[in-house]
Amino acid sequence: MLLIGQLNYATTLKYNFPNIAVASALKELQIPQRFTELSLASMRSAEGRFLQIQPEEVPTPIIEGNNWREEPIPVKISSVSAHLTPLKPIPDETPIIAVDVSSVRLGDTDVGVLCAVRGAIVWSTKRRYGYLRIGPFPFHITEENIREVINLLRFYRFVPSESSSLRLEDVQVRLCNLVERWLQMSVCSSSYGSVILWDGSLTAGTVDNPLTVLRGILEEARNRLNTVLAFSKVTSIRVLGRRITDLVLKYPPPCLFRLDGPPPSTSLRLLGNVYIARLAGGFSAFRLDVDKGVQEEEGIRALQRLLGNDVLYQGYPETLRLAHILSTFTASEVIGIQRFVAQRYDLRIVVRPSVRKTLFGPFGTRFED
Amino acid sequence: MKLYKKAGNTLQILSFPSEDVEKGSYLLIEDLKAGRSMIVQVVDIQFANVPGVMEEFLRELSAEDRVEGEDFDPLDISSHILYVQDTRLLVCKIHGTLENGFLRFDGSWLPSRTHSRVRRLPVKRLVEMVGVGRRLPIQVGETMDGSRLTIDASSLDGKLNIITGKKGTGKSHFSKLLVLGLIDHGATVVVLDLNGEYVNLGFARDGSRNRYHKVIKVLKPRENFKVALSQIDLSIIMRILIHSLGLPETSAREFRRIWRFLEEKRRLTLHDLGEAIKNWNCNVHVRDALYSRYYALLRSELFTDNLAEAVFLERILGGMKRGGAIIIDLSDTSPSDRKIIVEYVLGKIQKALAQWRVRAVFLFAEEAHLYLRETYWDDIITRMRHFGLFTTFITNQPNTIKESIYRQADNIFLFNFVNEHDLEAISRASRADAETVISIVRDLPPHHCLILGEAVKDFPIVVKVRPMDIQTMGHTRLFFEDNIPKVHESPIKVHEAS
Repeated sequence: MLLIGQLNYATTLKYNFPNIAVASALKELQIPQRFTELSLASMRSAEGRFLQIQPEEVPTPIIEGNNWREEPIPVKISSVSAHLTPLKPIPDETPIIAVDVSSVRLGDTDVGVLCAVRGAIVWSTKRRYGYLRIGPFPFHITEENIREVINLLRFYRFVPSESSSLRLEDVQVRLCNLVERWLQMSVCSSSYGSVILWDGSLTAGTVDNPLTVLRGILEEARNRLNTVLAFSKVTSIRVLGRRITDLVLKYPPPCLFRLDGPPPSTSLRLLGNVYIARLAGGFSAFRLDVDKGVQEEEGIRALQRLLGNDVLYQGYPETLRLAHILSTFTASEVIGIQRFVAQRYDLRIVVRPSVRKTLFGPFGTRFED
Repeated sequence: MKLYKKAGNTLQILSFPSEDVEKGSYLLIEDLKAGRSMIVQVVDIQFANVPGVMEEFLRELSAEDRVEGEDFDPLDISSHILYVQDTRLLVCKIHGTLENGFLRFDGSWLPSRTHSRVRRLPVKRLVEMVGVGRRLPIQVGETMDGSRLTIDASSLDGKLNIITGKKGTGKSHFSKLLVLGLIDHGATVVVLDLNGEYVNLGFARDGSRNRYHKVIKVLKPRENFKVALSQIDLSIIMRILIHSLGLPETSAREFRRIWRFLEEKRRLTLHDLGEAIKNWNCNVHVRDALYSRYYALLRSELFTDNLAEAVFLERILGGMKRGGAIIIDLSDTSPSDRKIIVEYVLGKIQKALAQWRVRAVFLFAEEAHLYLRETYWDDIITRMRHFGLFTTFITNQPNTIKESIYRQADNIFLFNFVNEHDLEAISRASRADAETVISIVRDLPPHHCLILGEAVKDFPIVVKVRPMDIQTMGHTRLFFEDNIPKVHESPIKVHEAS
């Protein structure tokens, strides 16, 4: 049983959303109390310890939410143009809502890992943007309190019930995913008739993305006539030996290319139809996963609504771009959070000598993990 | 605060926004393990190069115009982030080290970055440590900490001083404060008052006579300042003719003969001088040259044949044994007359000093470049200094004072300057490094003065000059003064554009 920390923390924000439809839906957003309690309780275990941080010349690893590793998708395609769907923007004032989450490793103590998680929801109605940023939440994960983390993840079905092992190094990613899925679920279950943008893909079945969780969120979205579109900034999918995103650049935007193929592997499940979307001029095309649960025409219509109701910068939705910008940690924020934990939990910060630098001098500049 | 870097005699210290440090403040870096401390002065305050700040601001910029939102931050971590982003870098100059209570002026020792404690050193404690203004105090105003600052009158004794700053920053006020401070300690002061700003020093703000009234003598040429030729030495009149009126050497030789002739005959009057030139057996060109100078002397109305209205400067100087000031009001005088008067006054002072009629004279010269001949500058700061003439130059054009004078100045009282050329000129002062001077002076508010030199034992100190109950302000004649209806002055309210 976790103890609630002695620190006072504010009650959940009830944001006054500008658009009535979105506002009435999202304003009941609640932070799971257990999550905040876990943050506070875990930090108590860091009190009075040394915090080893990365040397300043080595950037602190920042992890985006939904940190999935793209599995190779075997694409069988003879002609790209045969799968091409031209798109026409539909400006009908459909709300566009985007979710993104980041986490950052703040350093190590002698008994664990210190990290922080932050999420952002950005919405666009009539091309006016609003945001709600949640966090940062610092966590000190040790061998002792990892069980509490597993219980929390299990509560939200992020860890199979039979599993009891979780490496300290993986906790940051799991917590990040937990917040991201929770924000996605909150948005999907509280908005109506919206286009919801995620960062990443709709690939489920990995340790980080349990099938049941993702399936549940998508089902919730469909029940409320929302459509989930997931954008991947980087994809390694190749057709006829060439990167698919390069292959489609010669076609005039906005257009969409459907990728067909058999399921990627036994363990992975694609919960979305996979496309390559070239939504605007420039040199950018993105992998786009559209919820398989909605009819294909409905999915394409959702994309056209996105085109008609959001700004696209280099073919990437502005709402999602802002969500990413707002959730990502900058270096000064990392220093600020380190200062917070050092002051409040009496942590003494020491710079960890870089083994790579020590061994290899100027040649040891890569990330150490 | 935390010691960060050292380069030359410059230290960089990291400081958080809550730590109250201003430009010009002194800091004490105490190395507890070494048992030594370093005294440094903050000469510039910059933003620390916090990693990621640029990204942070770009994020805010990209969002602020078109995105409205809110943060849910239950642990209030954002305040710490903002705090870090406002971290400041204090650029400091090393002024000395303290060891076992003794002050040493060396910057070779380096305190530990990890063990040192950095804290603000109140100016009050600093001046106590270095012994500023102990013996003959002149209270000049308040330091940045709000403590009173006094300088020692003896730090002006035998010294060359410069008061400079742009117009309206309070130079003349400060100069008057020094004049009265010196009088308080029994000094004899002569002021070359270009604009008639010092003539009311003997009066309080309400117009009543103050305690200085009896010891301040205001001399206005043509009115109460006239001299008889018989009072003047040949050397002084020759200096006037050659340096002020540009008399050529051949003509000067003839004039010497005429003067000696009249002196022997005891007929040194204006009338007889004119007659002698008229009848003197000499070249016509020489006569014309002498005549033109003679009429220039007449036109100046400084000279008189009436001994009853003549002023005996040496006597006035000699009568100021317990302190006093002679104000030579040079307002309403032409540039050439001004030069004649100054040559006369300086000649007389020199003579009085040489004859020990007066022990020393503190000369305050406002905008001296307008009446002081070229060769006088070096004469004043080298030869005449040994006779007991200690000069304070007051100017709002610092480039009118030669670099050699800045280098030899013992005290420099600097008011605000923003012009780069002016800053470059004052940075030549050898009593402080250029970076300190330029950085602090640029941001000085009106009536705040940066004191450099002997008066503050070479610890540059910013002081807010104290007000005085005297009619200090030079009255500038204004066109609109009487024509504008008086309105109640209130803070200007700026209406935001809708």
